[in-house]
Amino acid sequence: MYYSADEKREFEKALASGKETIELLVPLDVYLAAGVHIGTHICSKHMEGFVYKLRPDGLYILNVRLIDERIRIAAKFLSRFETGSILAVSARQYGFEPVSKFAQLTGNKCLKGRFTPGTLTNPRLSSFIEADVVVVTDPRADIQALNEASKIGIPVIAISSTDNKLSGVDLVIPGNNKGRKSLAVVYWLLTRQLLREKGVLPPNGELQVSYEDFETKVGQ
Amino acid sequence: MMGLEEQVSSKGPVIVESSTPPVCSSCGKLVSPLEKGTKFLCPNCGSVTIWRCKMCREFNVKYVCPKCGFEGP
Repeated sequence: MYYSADEKREFEKALASGKETIELLVPLDVYLAAGVHIGTHICSKHMEGFVYKLRPDGLYILNVRLIDERIRIAAKFLSRFETGSILAVSARQYGFEPVSKFAQLTGNKCLKGRFTPGTLTNPRLSSFIEADVVVVTDPRADIQALNEASKIGIPVIAISSTDNKLSGVDLVIPGNNKGRKSLAVVYWLLTRQLLREKGVLPPNGELQVSYEDFETKVGQ
Repeated sequence: MMGLEEQVSSKGPVIVESSTPPVCSSCGKLVSPLEKGTKFLCPNCGSVTIWRCKMCREFNVKYVCPKCGFEGP
């Protein structure tokens, strides 16, 4: 359990305190249960704007409303690119299944594990990939992908936690990029929203798969 | 931004190609052709092209969409 009843009440109060009631993409419980809002004990200057509060135990908590908003914006942004020109990268093991599912359901490319240098910049390489936009799971772990995207001048979307620096990133999705369930929820929402924006799914349509299917199975 | 302009010389009409160099949305400086900057449509409204120079990308300088007011990254 990533949250207490008091914390949930506080989040609900904060969400309702806005000028207009904002409807989240999924119920607040899903975000809180997956721990998407959980940050780290470190907060970088770049991520200060996305932090909701600092817990007494020293853990930074991300703003759920901003997470939701940024997922919508990122999906809108990705929907303007042709199908097959998006590259999702994950060097983190917990991100393997989410990026595979994202690529499979949206018809794009994914790269799991080690990012071979030159994948985006060296056309002579057998593993060369041509992409128009890159989605990275962790800007620190996927630094090679980030650097190569910067070199060829393509935009980068990054899922960033509170301890990440945003050098070379063009659009941030704040969120916990260390948790298995958290990454599954973020990629599931991104996939669903992208398909809705593309018109594959109706505006309130649901995916055939649930966010549990996006989770990397432990012991795999 | 490319534009074609037709001028007339003593030898006949000449087409002169003129271009406006892109300007970084964050710092307002020109983005040189060899610089590893980037351009993309505003993530929120999608109607304005946002240019980011190499330094602004590296130092995470904010960009603002002039149309919808979206602040990135």
